[in-house]
Amino acid sequence: MLLLELAKHTGYLPVTVPAPSQVWGALLANPRGIGLALGETTMNAIRGYAVAVVVALGAAFIAAFVAALRPTIYNLGVGLSSIPLIAATPLLALWLGNGPLTRSLIAGLASYFPLLVGAMQGFRSYEANHMELFHVYSASRWRVFRFLILPSSLPYLFTGFKLAAPLAVLGSLTAELTGAENGIGVLMLNALFNFDIKMVWLTVLVACAMSGAGYAIWALIERLTIYWEAPSNSSS
Amino acid sequence: MPKDLTVKDASKWFDSRGQQVIALDRASLSLPAGGFGAIIGPSGCGKSTLLRMVADIIAPSAGSILVGNEPPSAARLEHAIGFVFQSATLLPWRSVRENVALPLAIVGKRSKRVAKRTPDELIELVGLQGFEDALPAQLSGGMQQRVSIARALVLAPDILLLDEPFGALDEITRQRMNLELLRIWAEASTTALLVTHSIDEAVFMADSVFVMSPRPGRISQVVDVPLPRPRTLQMMSSQLFFDTVNRVREGLYGIDAQETVGLTADAPAVVQ
Repeated sequence: MLLLELAKHTGYLPVTVPAPSQVWGALLANPRGIGLALGETTMNAIRGYAVAVVVALGAAFIAAFVAALRPTIYNLGVGLSSIPLIAATPLLALWLGNGPLTRSLIAGLASYFPLLVGAMQGFRSYEANHMELFHVYSASRWRVFRFLILPSSLPYLFTGFKLAAPLAVLGSLTAELTGAENGIGVLMLNALFNFDIKMVWLTVLVACAMSGAGYAIWALIERLTIYWEAPSNSSS
Repeated sequence: MPKDLTVKDASKWFDSRGQQVIALDRASLSLPAGGFGAIIGPSGCGKSTLLRMVADIIAPSAGSILVGNEPPSAARLEHAIGFVFQSATLLPWRSVRENVALPLAIVGKRSKRVAKRTPDELIELVGLQGFEDALPAQLSGGMQQRVSIARALVLAPDILLLDEPFGALDEITRQRMNLELLRIWAEASTTALLVTHSIDEAVFMADSVFVMSPRPGRISQVVDVPLPRPRTLQMMSSQLFFDTVNRVREGLYGIDAQETVGLTADAPAVVQ
């Protein structure tokens, strides 16, 4: 930071790279506006993320119980994820209006895939001999899920949660680029058109912080939830 | 109540690339209620297959198996089977107490089975008092296997199936675990069937040793063990023990093999 600051004042940095103090100044100039934009983008990301979690885990749950549906669900997931976000946004805006609903759905669309893959893999990651144990006790399918499949899947689920959080932020930002009234993406676009370099950098940094925070929150929850070690080879 | 076990001409074959592989060929054995049987044989003789069929993990291709007077599936559905796997197979996120109690949680209120002992009493029975709240990763291999034995006993099984439970342990720990298993078996009043690849272990533990031979897997001989109960370590140096071990060894390798390799009664059973 200090080096950057120094480099800027001695003229070593190009005009497109502001000094850290200038970016900080842009934040101080309009903290309320940036706070509102941050809230808007975050809320859309969280709403979309929540929908994605429910849909992806629900689909994976069904796939875990009905093996015949597994390829269908997976292929649907792959197909849906191959739609470019930037193309989906105007379509959804046409159908659902250019509002928070559309932008939340885009955030969900952007983030569900790692959730789906993590859950589908996780629900099959139990150990075969554990399953034999549950079979010997003729456990019901629900109890197999509750006592074996779900806890075994947690490392995979958390990987999905962690990877999906920055994607929801990305989706929320992307959706704003095609004409929203408020949001970090809007500020970013406006700053770019106005050649407001400090503001471009500020919005980029805020976006990075949002993505990083989304990841970090889940990493923290993971550490608090998974208190056990993966079983060391018990045969020694 | 312990149940007797009758296996009659049980066979198992698999289709492997269009070829039929016979894993088990017309195996028959019977074990009285409350008895202790041992199955011994080299790798690939189908001894685990046989045990898994008794536990209704896999179904026989032909022949019949009766636990009490029912097929294994009925015994399994009424939670009459206890199974101890080669590895302890503990759930790493559950404490020792929660692992021992797992069958109770799985069965829930559906079962009419009455547990004779609480999980804590069983933990004491296998000598792990003080470790109730430990996680499996904090225990040694021997301790983990004790937890899995306590777990297998929590629903007071009528038949206890053990698939090389101490195979991964060192000789000294193994001997101690065997003594404990005999004590637990006597206290728990259950029929026990142990799969092992140690001749000494089979003779020391069982009333009857079922000797198996490979390709195709079958029971080639039944050796009755005339040693009295309770068994003690001193018995392992008795003439009766040696003679019985020899009879099992002859069953495993045949008289010819014994002559060519030059095994004697007190030589270690190392071949190949």
